[in-house]
Amino acid sequence: MKLQKDVSSSHSNTVDTLTNLSILQLLQIHDSAFPIGSYTHSYGMETYIQEDLICTKDQLIEFCQAYLFHNLVYGDAIIIQEAFHAAKERDVDHLSELDELCGAMKLAKESKEASVNVGKQFMRTVAPLMESPFLLQWKEKIDCEEVKGHYAVLYGIYCEALGVNVFHTVMTFMYASISGLVQNAVRAVPFGQNTGVQALNELLISVEEAAQTVMSLTMDDLANNALGIELASMKHEFLYSRLFIS
Amino acid sequence: MLNQQKVNHFGKLEMAFEPRRGYTRLVHVYQQPPLKASRELYEGSDPTATVFLMESSGGMVAGDRNEISVKLAPDSQVRLKQQSALKIYPSHTGEHCTQAITVEIADKARLEWLPEVIIPFERAKFQVDTTIRMKESSTLIWGEIIAPGREKRGEIFDYQAFQSKYKVYVEDNLIAFDSLHFKPQEMNFSAIGLLEKALYIGSLWIVSPLVKNLAIRDLQDMIQQEHSLQASVTKLTDQAIHCRWLAKEQRTLHKEINSMFEHMTTLL
Repeated sequence: MKLQKDVSSSHSNTVDTLTNLSILQLLQIHDSAFPIGSYTHSYGMETYIQEDLICTKDQLIEFCQAYLFHNLVYGDAIIIQEAFHAAKERDVDHLSELDELCGAMKLAKESKEASVNVGKQFMRTVAPLMESPFLLQWKEKIDCEEVKGHYAVLYGIYCEALGVNVFHTVMTFMYASISGLVQNAVRAVPFGQNTGVQALNELLISVEEAAQTVMSLTMDDLANNALGIELASMKHEFLYSRLFIS
Repeated sequence: MLNQQKVNHFGKLEMAFEPRRGYTRLVHVYQQPPLKASRELYEGSDPTATVFLMESSGGMVAGDRNEISVKLAPDSQVRLKQQSALKIYPSHTGEHCTQAITVEIADKARLEWLPEVIIPFERAKFQVDTTIRMKESSTLIWGEIIAPGREKRGEIFDYQAFQSKYKVYVEDNLIAFDSLHFKPQEMNFSAIGLLEKALYIGSLWIVSPLVKNLAIRDLQDMIQQEHSLQASVTKLTDQAIHCRWLAKEQRTLHKEINSMFEHMTTLL
């Protein structure tokens, strides 16, 4: 089904504001029915859950904040921001460099694979929805294995093509990541639905703050200080029984 | 940023190794104080050259810079060991101490870099960039430990900034980029997801064509035997492994990282 063919024409008047249609398109790609598999990844959280370190709403919020401010902000979010600008410049070389950095920064095998697999699913799902020659050019590079196709890079390219601004691009990615973690915690810990809703609601202000922080960061700031989460992602591979792929 | 005029120490050490008459020799060395390299040492008929890296100033002071460059010609085998822990003194001028390490490992050459500790004192500011470029046929076993400060003096995360960027390229592909940027005044290290109960960070990087034969689960079982610290292994690529430890205590960490280091040197 073709949703909208000519999104590129809406570029000029959507530099700073979201159009109604781009809001809807963003909502759609973050709908839980959108089949990109992000809900099958816990990015190390499952290790903490199995070690009984996430049992309360406050512990879940604390975990999500660490992931947000010490992993996402200085990692994927900077990559997305850079990819967005590189896509605007049609700078394929810089995008390839970002794709390589994105993978090299994810030391844990499962996090690295999750980023590529979610990216592949995302591309497969969005490619038929929009006519963007640049997105297709990137798809070809992934298909012929010139680049790995990490999700963060792809998300930046896709949102630029949608005509969404860079701030909303970064913020919605982080919202979706945190929302995914909370949903997964609700299933795995388990928590009641209301606890999950309340936890996510309390985290919204952090998501906005995190997105604001990203706007002042550059490639030089790329870092991962959430070493506990990274170690948990490494250990996840060796857990006996697992609900999630990462 | 580095201000050239205020650099009080600019240590330089350039080393090039080559196999000659059955042994790896240090065929070129350029040293500028306070950095210095020892002569090559050998154990019996093992062609591996062991060289000690020395820092005669006793530590880095604000604005100091160290540059270390190591080149291994094809088939050379080198073991580098720092003579002591690297101490970073308080930054009384507000400037960073910076260190750059660049390593090139040619075909079938092998470099072992033994784990030593970096200790950032209170108010220290430190930035280290390490870049390793190697071939698919070459071998790297590299370890390092980051301390929270002079722990025994109660100096724990009292430094101002610690930044480390560690990059490994194999045949020009970036396979690992470990980037840490710690600012203790702005971070709660004990929070879940960060260092939690740990104070020391240990890392080991192993790249070799023989890694594909190693059973990663066996290594994980081995690394998890010591329960007083958190540790895990992961495969970066088919030929690269990363081990990380988060430990409360330096002594146990040193013992663990050294034992994994030795285990790897015997396997690879």
